[in-house]
Amino acid sequence: MMNINKYPEIKSGSKLIKKIYVAVMLWIVGRAIQAASRVDREVKEEFGRLSDDFMMHLHVLPSGPGMIVGKDKNGKVRYMGWNPKGKKITLDMKVKNIEGAILMFTFQESTCVASANNRLAVSGNVPDTMAFIRILNIVETYLLPKIITSLAVKRYPKWSQMSPLRKYAGRVLVYVRTFTF
Amino acid sequence: MQIPGYYEFCNKVKTVSGHNALDKLPEMLASVNSVKPLIITDKGVNGAGLIEPVKKALGTKVKSGGVYDDVPADSDVKTIKDIAAKYRAAKCDSIIAVGGGSVLDTAKGVNILVSENSDNLMNFVGFGALKRRLKPLIAVPTTSGTGSEMTLVAVIADHERDVKMLFPSLFLLPDFAVLDSRMTKTLPAALTAFTAMDAMTHACEAYTCLSKNPLSDSTAVMAIKLISDNIMQGVKKPGDMEARLALANASALAGMSFSNSMVGMIHAIGHSIGAICHVPHGVCMSVLLPYGLEYNLHKTGLLTGELLFPLKGEEAYNSAKAEERPLLTIRAIREMNSELRKATGGKHPTCLKEIVDRDGNMMVPREVLSDIAHLSLNDGAMVYNPEDLDYNDALMVLEKAWEGEPLDRKKIRKGKQTSLVKVKD
Repeated sequence: MMNINKYPEIKSGSKLIKKIYVAVMLWIVGRAIQAASRVDREVKEEFGRLSDDFMMHLHVLPSGPGMIVGKDKNGKVRYMGWNPKGKKITLDMKVKNIEGAILMFTFQESTCVASANNRLAVSGNVPDTMAFIRILNIVETYLLPKIITSLAVKRYPKWSQMSPLRKYAGRVLVYVRTFTF
Repeated sequence: MQIPGYYEFCNKVKTVSGHNALDKLPEMLASVNSVKPLIITDKGVNGAGLIEPVKKALGTKVKSGGVYDDVPADSDVKTIKDIAAKYRAAKCDSIIAVGGGSVLDTAKGVNILVSENSDNLMNFVGFGALKRRLKPLIAVPTTSGTGSEMTLVAVIADHERDVKMLFPSLFLLPDFAVLDSRMTKTLPAALTAFTAMDAMTHACEAYTCLSKNPLSDSTAVMAIKLISDNIMQGVKKPGDMEARLALANASALAGMSFSNSMVGMIHAIGHSIGAICHVPHGVCMSVLLPYGLEYNLHKTGLLTGELLFPLKGEEAYNSAKAEERPLLTIRAIREMNSELRKATGGKHPTCLKEIVDRDGNMMVPREVLSDIAHLSLNDGAMVYNPEDLDYNDALMVLEKAWEGEPLDRKKIRKGKQTSLVKVKD
């Protein structure tokens, strides 16, 4: 008879470095979304159309890292840390594993391509998800140089969509607000 | 061909196809240990006498749990609750859904409630909400378009809250899909035309959008070939049972394809036209299909060009240069729509302004294009479209589709060209 104790469960490695990298990126993106909601008209309008209790949790399965962005009691968009405990999440975006998260956050795969490749599982309202993807695209345009953002979005905004003034002034303001407290 | 780094494909529907496929119903029910099925349908299907062959097939061997034929054109939560109550009262143990997309989606909704012993569908919205196998479901499509008999999703409206809810789960895949040519024989010419073009759109978008994979590609290509070879015959000679069976198979293949690789901007814009103007889904798809392919050409030119082979055959494909094929594919689809318009006595529209209701009133007035453009940006199908669209892009496509003019491809704001075949603007 087979002795099951001879065959212990194989646990995946912790992949600590990758988790730290994704955690840092999620922190930056979360803070940058908060900053862009104050700086960019389009991001402001997108959040304006979302419900007052909007709360988005983007996290990596099975055990994180993650980030929460939502509206506070005054309707202001805030980065709300990583812990969903006690928060009413209205849009739950799960990256199925850390390898998928690495592809997304090293910008080898855009959010849309990650969805198409079954790396994301989303629970929540579809229009909210679409709005959040549009917000993420704008924030990435502010945060990253064109050569990298071009990999992360389907179409890098042309001058007619985002003037250089808006882009560069916005970039400075988003950076300042992201990294100052 | 590029194989995706990772993809998922699942279809576990047992397909039973044939001119008398329904006769196998008792065996199908026995194989899932069912003795009392509830038949769900709508008044149109029942009135056309299509429930008779189902009852006849069940014969005396199977005790029917009754027929519910009050499913509305737009499946809704209230109807689903009513049917679930009837199912429980009659102590049924399986469902036979006979109808188009609305009936099949309703049956999936009923199956959720009766299997989970619940009265609240809201508890099962979204991926992962269903955790276990549902009651047996046999899907008998009476149109050849939606492919719902092969899909893992149900779209159900909540009219009180004015929202459409999405229920995606592998557990919603029917146990059987019965493709019987008798069930589409009475389908009017115009309905045959636009439902087949709906299936054509499923296949074309599945083949060209972001979530494509080798398995969905193969079913999509076969669906396109079957539709291309049989659509005119099915419209002009409704009694041609071979053509009917071929179109039913094409619809199932296209359903299998897009259920696994999703669809793009054509569906996103089409859903919004349907929501605002109440235009049948297949009609929107027929009109928008060439525009969606045209818009994405700089990303999917090669793939669109490959579709010329199943559409027009080997000779047409081989005699064209690689860079000519994408535009020839689009032209072939426009010609198909024009031919269908002639064959249906003008009932099949080729542009949005030609869509009229039964009284001849225009269903998509130009003034609503802006609302449609706004709404389409929030449709989940946009995620899978190869190129991005903002409000101005969606409006541009809608205006051209309204007039029936091709897109001015120089005006399309293009992201990085990824197609290996470059098509001249």
